[in-house]
Amino acid sequence: MYFNILKKDLKRKKSMNVILLIFSILAAMFVSSGLSNVITVMNGTEYYLDKAGIGDYIIITQGGDGGITKTLDESDNVNSYKTENCYWGSIDDIKINGKNIVSKNNNVVLQSVSDNGMVFYNMDNSELTKVNTGEVYVTSGFLANNDAKIDDSVEINYHGIDKTFKIKGEIKDALLGSDMMGNIRFLFSDDDYDEYAKNEELDAFSGTIFNIKSDNVTELVNELSNATNVLFSGDRGMIKLCYVMEMIVAMIVLVLSVVLCIVSFVLLKFVISFTISEEVREIGVMKAIGIKNIKIRSLYITKYFMMAVLGGVIGFFLGIPFGNVLIESVSKKMVLGQDYGIIINVIGAIFVIFIMIGFAYRCTSKIKKYTPVDAIRDGQSGERFGKKSKMSLARSNKNNAFFLALNDIASAPKRFITIILSFTICSVFVFGVVLVTDTMKSDRLIGTFGKKSDIYINDSKRVKLEFLSKEGDKMLDDAIAEMENDLSKLGMPGAVSMEVWYKYPLTFNGKTTVETFQQNKRTDVTVYDYIEGSAPLNENEIAITNEIKNMLGIEIGDTVSIDFGNEKKDCIVVAYFQTMNQLGSVIRLHQNAPTSMTYASAMMAFQVDFDSEVSDEIIRERIDKIKDYYDVTNVFNAAEYCDDCMGVADTMGAVAILLLFITCIVVFLVTVLMERSFISDETSQIALLKAIGFKNSFIIKWQVYRFLIVAVISEAIAIILTYPVTKLWCDPIFSMMGAGNVDYLFRPLSLLVIYPGIILLINLISVLVTSLYTNKITSNDVRNIE
Amino acid sequence: MAKILDVKDLCKTYIIDKRQNNVLKNVNFSVEEGDMVAIMGPSGSGKSTLLYAVSGMDVPTSGTVEFDGKDITKLTANELAEVRLDKMGFIFQQMYMMKNLTILDNIVLPATESKKSNESRKEKEKRAEELMRKLSIIDVADNDINEVSGGQLQRACICRSMINNPKLLFADEPTGALNRTSSMEVMEELVKLNGEGTTIMMVTHDAKIAARCKRVLYIVDGNIKGEYVTPEDENLSTSDKERRLNNWLMDLGW
Repeated sequence: MYFNILKKDLKRKKSMNVILLIFSILAAMFVSSGLSNVITVMNGTEYYLDKAGIGDYIIITQGGDGGITKTLDESDNVNSYKTENCYWGSIDDIKINGKNIVSKNNNVVLQSVSDNGMVFYNMDNSELTKVNTGEVYVTSGFLANNDAKIDDSVEINYHGIDKTFKIKGEIKDALLGSDMMGNIRFLFSDDDYDEYAKNEELDAFSGTIFNIKSDNVTELVNELSNATNVLFSGDRGMIKLCYVMEMIVAMIVLVLSVVLCIVSFVLLKFVISFTISEEVREIGVMKAIGIKNIKIRSLYITKYFMMAVLGGVIGFFLGIPFGNVLIESVSKKMVLGQDYGIIINVIGAIFVIFIMIGFAYRCTSKIKKYTPVDAIRDGQSGERFGKKSKMSLARSNKNNAFFLALNDIASAPKRFITIILSFTICSVFVFGVVLVTDTMKSDRLIGTFGKKSDIYINDSKRVKLEFLSKEGDKMLDDAIAEMENDLSKLGMPGAVSMEVWYKYPLTFNGKTTVETFQQNKRTDVTVYDYIEGSAPLNENEIAITNEIKNMLGIEIGDTVSIDFGNEKKDCIVVAYFQTMNQLGSVIRLHQNAPTSMTYASAMMAFQVDFDSEVSDEIIRERIDKIKDYYDVTNVFNAAEYCDDCMGVADTMGAVAILLLFITCIVVFLVTVLMERSFISDETSQIALLKAIGFKNSFIIKWQVYRFLIVAVISEAIAIILTYPVTKLWCDPIFSMMGAGNVDYLFRPLSLLVIYPGIILLINLISVLVTSLYTNKITSNDVRNIE
Repeated sequence: MAKILDVKDLCKTYIIDKRQNNVLKNVNFSVEEGDMVAIMGPSGSGKSTLLYAVSGMDVPTSGTVEFDGKDITKLTANELAEVRLDKMGFIFQQMYMMKNLTILDNIVLPATESKKSNESRKEKEKRAEELMRKLSIIDVADNDINEVSGGQLQRACICRSMINNPKLLFADEPTGALNRTSSMEVMEELVKLNGEGTTIMMVTHDAKIAARCKRVLYIVDGNIKGEYVTPEDENLSTSDKERRLNNWLMDLGW
């Protein structure tokens, strides 16, 4: 008999049961994929670096090993080390389909596939072990950035050796593949590589990558303080931090998964409570005819169990592709640990099943408390209900449909809070990502890279690799003088300068480490922003970042010794500043500090400050003129330069759109399912209104207004919360990159119009389409109300 | 007296599992202004179907229903809605009300939606309060629908049905869900309204209630089997009228 009751229930309350099933599917899908993604992302970088064989300390050199091999061989602090030989090239040496290649970083690495200290992975996460002669593999993202495809030809004209290769695939490169490192690596066959290796003229461009395993990295760094030719050195932590951009995306996926889980549970709880409250009357009837509480309860729990299992199974299968879509942008760059794979998805789905049964158990607990009469009354007239009406139609001057909508919300706020909560959570998250993206695309962060200038020229044709040499100082001075001259000729006179990074040994408290120093010889160091202290006023004063402060234990007022090569200087720390260069591990020098390009490790862009103030439009025109004049592409204004330095704004923009898409789907589903639930609950009232002469358009307006009010409230709350919530989750990420205090750019057009507008529009369409169902309810249905 | 409702050859057929079920079979009758008509008949005879078909809530299979000079079977859904809002009133057996509105707001709602008069909301509210006062439920005006008794709620439904001064008031077993005392009170109010000129057509099972009406139509198996006109003799007591009606009903097989 119970089976028959259950069968009838499933058939008769088809709409509500289908809604419940859909929510259980969504919950299982979100939770299983979310849980799997959370675990994958949490272990993401560590797992990837381990798998790729990245050691505890990495050194990259150019033009010889700078004595590093000898130091490593003699050091007690080295467990083992591997070396990779390579050649440093410029993006100007390489053409694809006849066009110069585009890359964030001007320098590229040319290397043999078998001469590796680490493992490279194909895009399907299999190891790359062999490259055929005449073929090449490139770092992932290269094809998309250069509008190329597999089997396209790449021409490499490297110091007189012209070769053409066929691109056979992209690789995941744990060391150089991150957005922060941004060096493209070209992997050839041994035969092809040998053609470069045999040519002694290329020795000056050769480099070595040292991949060192050590239990005592601090001591090892001390020992390596005199090493030369170092382009990059960093411990595993720094390599990990280079993935911070990928991790931002991963974190967003993680937070999104958590958000979706919360939303699904909130909705699930609501729908189960809702469907059970619909059935209270029947529960009363069963009690009245003498069926025991436990049997009634088990009847409903059986129903929810069936729904939960069915929803869980379907959700589990849908969760796999859904999770992969979410994590796709991260998995393009990294090999993500999916050791637990499907098991986590299964656990997620089972978890949802238990949660559903738990909710059902809790919601059916009131069966015990009701007397049969109570339960029967609760179904419709419900004397248990408290006072509901909060507003008066008679005293209101609002449109009737609007009044009913508003009154419904005021009378049963709990029901609508669920929807507001779901919409708000999703929206805050989307708006936050938009806020971050807009900030990244603006010039708000320029101060964390250098001085704000009118134009930045960052093209390898002008910013030449040979500046990083003994003769570099003169070459750079000449290049700057030439550029100033050219600009005058072009009718845009201005001052040109450049931020250069140097590697010098720094001694503090008897401990020596090699640190990165930043200097712009043509800019007064007082023009930069400092978060504490005052700007260096002479060459014996320096400013440090919080990262340096924490790493070396140096504070304002301390004196450190810097070995500039030709002379040693005792310098006083006079200020703290923040920078995203080198993830914050940078010391700023006074413009007169005795630096030399011999020790330079990297150069930023040529910065141009025009003599007169110019508008954005004129800057745009001048950028085009400079591009034409020098035949270069990488000429930027301040905002574009910031974007270029971080190289993740586009990814963030894509993530924001993906999030908006997912939010719109969630808003659509929540609206459709909730509205359908409401219609099911309000069939009697709708029929009544029609019976007493209300038109269908009135009913639709009532339903639409109600959801629109809820959506507007949600969006308003979301807009208010966006800034503080974003600061909460995103400041720690920026602070990992060196910028602890970010002033986000709130673009009213994005955050007050476009994004909330899209969500409201989706809401409007969803509720409008769903409310058309009320057309099916006729005035005559007033006879069939139970 | 002019005819307010003229029903001709009204048929209603339901098809259940391919089987045709003729619920109303060529029903003909008319209602005049100021009339008070009860429809009686055994369960399943088609009483409610007839009421809903003639009030435009249900679509008849064939036949015409002329209300206030217009065949409402030819009207669109929106036109029918306007007719129901402005010219008809409805009282249901179950006291259906909008859950989240107070008693007063439930009554005022159709008035604020109607464009029949140029009254302000304040005036409509006043009129609603007058109706409530008349039906002795003014004390519960600001109560929620679950804070009043069944009798009070049904009287509130009567107020709502009267708020737009309908030409014809339909009632589907208006006392069916009430106890005897409440039933009599509600019936008293309906008789009073009819006395004031409101035309009423109701479905009832209760001969006591039907005896208060001016005419009774007895329907069996989708056909009107007979019509009883309550004598207007003032010397006849209510119980005499009831006894006579019962006798007539028994003759018809009640």
